[in-house]
Amino acid sequence: MPSGRSSAPWARAGRAVRRAWRRVVSALALVVHRWRSSLQLRVVTTAMLIGLVALTVLGAYLSNWIRDGLYNQRIDQLVADASQSTQQARERFDASINSTGQDREALFREVIGRLQVGGAGTRDVFLLRSPGQVIAPPVSEQGTAFELSGLIPSQLRHLVQASPQQIHRVPVAIERSEGDGVDPGVVIGSAVTIGGVQYELYFLYNLAPEQQTLSFMQRVLALAAVGLMVMLGAMTWLVTRQAVQPVRIAAKVAERLADGHLAERMTVRGEDEMATLARSFNEMAQSLQVQIRRMEELSRLQRRFVSDVSHELRTPLTTIRIAAEVLHAARADLDPAAARSAELLTGQLDRFEALLADLLEMSRFDAGAVMLDAERQDVRDVVITAVDQATALASRRGVWLDVELPDRAAVADIDPRRVERILRNLLVNAIEHSDGNSVQIRVASDKRAAAITVRDHGIGMTPEEAERVFDRFWRADLARARSTGGTGLGLAISIEDARLHGGWLQVWARPGRGASFRLTLPRRAGITLTDSPLPLVPPDIDTVDAPVEVPVQGAADPAAIPDLDRLEAR
Amino acid sequence: MGSMKGRILVVDDDVALAEMIGIVLRSEGFEPLFCAHGDDALEAFRSGQPDLVLLDLMLPGKDGTEICRLIRGESGVPIVMLTAKSDTVDIVLGLESGADDYISKPFKPKELMARVRARLRRTDESTPEHLTIGDLEIDVTGHRVTRDGAMIPLTPLEFDLLVALARKPWQVFTREVLLERVWGYRHAADTRLVNVHVQRLRSKIEHDPEHPEIVQTVRGVGYKAGTEAP
Repeated sequence: MPSGRSSAPWARAGRAVRRAWRRVVSALALVVHRWRSSLQLRVVTTAMLIGLVALTVLGAYLSNWIRDGLYNQRIDQLVADASQSTQQARERFDASINSTGQDREALFREVIGRLQVGGAGTRDVFLLRSPGQVIAPPVSEQGTAFELSGLIPSQLRHLVQASPQQIHRVPVAIERSEGDGVDPGVVIGSAVTIGGVQYELYFLYNLAPEQQTLSFMQRVLALAAVGLMVMLGAMTWLVTRQAVQPVRIAAKVAERLADGHLAERMTVRGEDEMATLARSFNEMAQSLQVQIRRMEELSRLQRRFVSDVSHELRTPLTTIRIAAEVLHAARADLDPAAARSAELLTGQLDRFEALLADLLEMSRFDAGAVMLDAERQDVRDVVITAVDQATALASRRGVWLDVELPDRAAVADIDPRRVERILRNLLVNAIEHSDGNSVQIRVASDKRAAAITVRDHGIGMTPEEAERVFDRFWRADLARARSTGGTGLGLAISIEDARLHGGWLQVWARPGRGASFRLTLPRRAGITLTDSPLPLVPPDIDTVDAPVEVPVQGAADPAAIPDLDRLEAR
Repeated sequence: MGSMKGRILVVDDDVALAEMIGIVLRSEGFEPLFCAHGDDALEAFRSGQPDLVLLDLMLPGKDGTEICRLIRGESGVPIVMLTAKSDTVDIVLGLESGADDYISKPFKPKELMARVRARLRRTDESTPEHLTIGDLEIDVTGHRVTRDGAMIPLTPLEFDLLVALARKPWQVFTREVLLERVWGYRHAADTRLVNVHVQRLRSKIEHDPEHPEIVQTVRGVGYKAGTEAP
């Protein structure tokens, strides 16, 4: 299997590349994160970038300017020096115009030797014979360092030969004797005539000292630039720190405030904008604290009020209750009107008591004065208890209760009193609205949640009605509601009970198809519900194909289809 | 109705309610006594020598819990609190200051009578019964608990609680069972009643109430009587 064998290294390489790429990406992400999260880093980096560009431009300009200045000045000086020396040589040669061969050799040497030391700085001098001149006796060409005569460019020689009276110059590169590079130099030349024979006199100046000066200046400039950059960075860092530090402190204090440490404040120092920020911040914190205190006080007062109302109402209600019972017990001895009155009084007292109890419960929820008394319990047991309690009502209404419990225990941290109350409300509602059809109760649980659905097959509700079903004192059918009793607060309390558990209470309903209520409870405190073990829409309803039975005007209206998302969100 | 079944002191500042309770009590054969002010309650108790006290917690003058403590200071007579507050703190405070039971307003006359009867119920056992639990001697018929011949004063409720546990040592009683046996509740009721009274009983009979040996807690289940291992 050659392909298999050969693919292994490729795969390995691919993996390595991918790994490396991931590392690069994560490093980049880290940098980007740092960049985005630190204002100080951004400001310092930006300032340093701008500074770097400015210094580079300025440095390049300065360095050029200094180099040109140094070079031009030196060249002018050297040209003057060379022309003066040339003049001296001419005079010397003119004076000894009649010298012959041997003398001329000596003369040349003498002149050249004198010229080499006579000028400004060290220079080498060459005396070359212009080509095309035949003379006798031939005098050798001479120079102080003749091996360097090759440096004289032929181009310069042409120039000198073309216009012998003028001084010409050309820059050259002189190889160092150590052989480790070249120094800049300049060759200045012109023609001299000795006894009618034209010679060329060249001076070779080494510009290494100037180059050294220039390099030194450039080094100083670069050093200054680096120093400036460091100073700039430090400066911006310090300045932004001064500006950012109070903001950081403010952020920290704000976080502490948000965590409930209401007494947290910033320290105010000085009179500047930062002090103003701190002062304004503290004022805001102060007013927040005052507001929260006021709300707490209001909440406390409301709780107190609820408690007082409770006490004040309960005592006379007890008297009325006992009196009604006494009258009710003695109704056989009363005349028919009084006896019926006693019966009505007793019955309505039950309603009154239920309403009072529900109202007080509701106001306790509003005041935030309720606490979950949670214990680990099998939800199935609570369901059985609630169903047992509803059996009497169901048999009176001729409603069959169909309960389906899982085999496995559905243990959850619940407040059994509250869950039982929710289920009682749902069951009574379902029985009252089922029109004699059966009511199904389903229980299921998974790792995170336990769920109970209560489904009836009564007249159902429109989605608009279903949305309002948890509103206080809202009744789907006013005419029916009066006869069935109930306080009108049952579902409103139920949804508060469910929320107290961190759970959901949701409804699905369609006209003519009945309604389904689903209670989902997290199995442990702290679990956030994302899903329910049971579907909200009953399985016997096909959501796509089932014809939606709604009033005529809503037949083609998409709004007639239950907005499940919105219900889910409740 | 014939002869009076017992005297009941009703301490309540709401005159209408007190009168109404009186009507019910009288119709059931009890003799009601009334007191409408907290400061007069102890005097009324001493002069009336009632068999049971119905005590409102919110009273002018001394409040219910204080009266409870004062009565307990001199008598073990059953005390049933009438409370209009559903605040659990008040109920626990009342129980801790010595009340045997409580009933929340608004209540029905039947509930009231059930609570009163449960507290006055005395089984008339003809055969003398003696129990030993740890180093305690219990004379059930004589209503006496002694340790080394010295009598330990217990309220009737505490006595009933101890007898219920001592009759079946090593059997674990759940709070619900004890509520039914001792308090006479047929339906589930407030299990704090049991907790508070077990604490009170322990404070009287245990050598070290922090490490009880006679009434032991079985975690997650309830209580049992343990014979002290000497």
